[in-house]
Amino acid sequence: MIWRQFLMEWRLYSRDRVAMFWTFAFPVILLMGFGTIFRDGGGPNLAVVRVQAPMPTPRDAALDQALTDLHLKVQSLPRAEAEARWSRGETAAQLEADGAGYRLRLNSYLMAQAGATAGLVNQAWLVAQARLSGAPEPQRIPVQVESPGHKRSTNYASFLLPGLLGLNLVSMGLFSVGMVNVSYREKGKFRRLAVTPLPKWIFLLGQVLHRLTVTVIQAAILLLVGRLIFGIQNQGAFLDLLLIMALGTGCFMAFGFALSGFAETSEGYAAISNLVFFPLMMLSGVYFTLDAAPAWLQHVVAVLPLAPFIRALRAVFNDGAGLAGHGVGLIIVTTWGLAAFALAVRRFRWA
Amino acid sequence: MPVPALRIRGLRKAFPKVVAVDGVDLEVAGGEVFGLLGPNGAGKTTTLEIIEGLTTADAGEIEILGLTWERYGQEIRSRIGVQLQSTSLFNKITPREALDLYGSYYPKCRTSQDLLQLVQLEDKADAYHITLSGGQQQRLALALALVNDPEMVFLDEPTTGLDPQARRSLWDVVRRMKGEGRTVVLTTHYMDEAEALCDRLSIMDHGKVIATGTPASLIADLDLPSVVELTFEGVAPDPAAFAVRLGQAVEPRADLWEIPTSDPKALLPRLLEAAEAAAIPFSQVHIRRATLEDVFLHRTGRSLRE
Repeated sequence: MIWRQFLMEWRLYSRDRVAMFWTFAFPVILLMGFGTIFRDGGGPNLAVVRVQAPMPTPRDAALDQALTDLHLKVQSLPRAEAEARWSRGETAAQLEADGAGYRLRLNSYLMAQAGATAGLVNQAWLVAQARLSGAPEPQRIPVQVESPGHKRSTNYASFLLPGLLGLNLVSMGLFSVGMVNVSYREKGKFRRLAVTPLPKWIFLLGQVLHRLTVTVIQAAILLLVGRLIFGIQNQGAFLDLLLIMALGTGCFMAFGFALSGFAETSEGYAAISNLVFFPLMMLSGVYFTLDAAPAWLQHVVAVLPLAPFIRALRAVFNDGAGLAGHGVGLIIVTTWGLAAFALAVRRFRWA
Repeated sequence: MPVPALRIRGLRKAFPKVVAVDGVDLEVAGGEVFGLLGPNGAGKTTTLEIIEGLTTADAGEIEILGLTWERYGQEIRSRIGVQLQSTSLFNKITPREALDLYGSYYPKCRTSQDLLQLVQLEDKADAYHITLSGGQQQRLALALALVNDPEMVFLDEPTTGLDPQARRSLWDVVRRMKGEGRTVVLTTHYMDEAEALCDRLSIMDHGKVIATGTPASLIADLDLPSVVELTFEGVAPDPAAFAVRLGQAVEPRADLWEIPTSDPKALLPRLLEAAEAAAIPFSQVHIRRATLEDVFLHRTGRSLRE
């Protein structure tokens, strides 16, 4: 019965060519876009805006040279233009002459970039001073870029790929699946099923299994493109990756189905799913670390499913880790998934 | 006495703004075609949906094939066939696939080929549902209602929105269901459909059953089982003055007057004389037997289609 339901889902799905194309193409396009933008190296480049002096001194020249040597991107602009750019908020750090010395203005909104830039500018200033006075250049501590898993250094696109896989799957579960469910219910597409003896859980499980396979195919395409175009290799075991993906898909699909039981209309569903998606996303630690958050919040965050899922995905994919270190995380994901599925079956209505 | 196929007592369902079903009692015998006739909003569909288990009633008892929903829900579902007022299937499923799929939900099912043949949909067996005409979609819905070889079939307005030819062919399918020994319960707001198909029927209005019986007995129970009609070219004039002169009720319709009577032979000369004297510009006279429409009119003071 489940098998039949599953096959029919696939057959109907495969007839909607446009939807199917975009489902598979969208993450690939996203990867191509980001991967191309950040092709060389570790994320966004650091840049400093240099306000041009009316008459550059040798000291200015030495500083500019040192900045370039330290791989800072220097944008030399006339004062008026630099100020305009600053007030538009596009500048992270701006360097200008100030009396006998220099002044560095940092954009408080872009502190991550600005802070790193400030460190490099100060180093450059020490180098330039040494060069001008003929003293030996100050020693720098050697830097090595590595992924946190200590296996080997990877570029931004390979960091991005597992995140894309994960996020794509979460949004598919929360938005597409749940939304489709609500809109079909609104259009009365399930009413005819309500008068048959088909159990709800078989109907739902058929859909989850269908989506699960869609996700696996999607992931396979993404991995293939990542490998062929960006040379990104899966560092871990494919079976581990498959298992994590399957658990994650199951979990977030079940989330979508469960939420769809709480919404009367598609509009209502959009509101509810965002209400769940954004906290999940913001608190997942994907965008910023929660080290500074209060302890109780950290405890809450520790049992949410998104972070352990993405973490396990990255560890396996980027660092070639095994599943051993992620048992607790995967148990959290599975528990959420089962609880959500139980809730989904309980709340599901045919009409 | 055999157990009735369907027995309903004191069924009630209120929605926030309206009492849709207000104390309905019904009894349907095995093997008969039973109709619920009434205008839109009479509570026919709500009654049927409660019987089918789609809606829960506020009060009342239902026994289908001797079973109650509370204890035997799954068994009832597998023994009844249902056609909803609008059967919305997935756009890109074909009739053959739909019949196979829905058949797979039941312990016992008929082959899609048989059913396609029964509703004359073999030509369209592999066309997407969305490309079928209204009549074809209704026929598919009818075939779906038969997919589990049900003992009892519920049809909700099976011919609404169909052209006359499609209606006739659906009627044939319903007659065949009866021929195969199935009990059929259908709703309709077409009195000709009720008369043509139903062994017995209940007339519903405002959530209540106002009359139950065979079509013939319902008509025979009327005090005035015949109707004389005066037809006009164009819109019929106001009959109030003429009714007084005639000493008999005259009901205006769009382009005719209806005069119900128990004795058309005696009425006719009197009527023609009065019409002549009042210079009524009618064009034709008809005498006809009363219909279910007249039964409804007589009981509610309103026409079925109003």
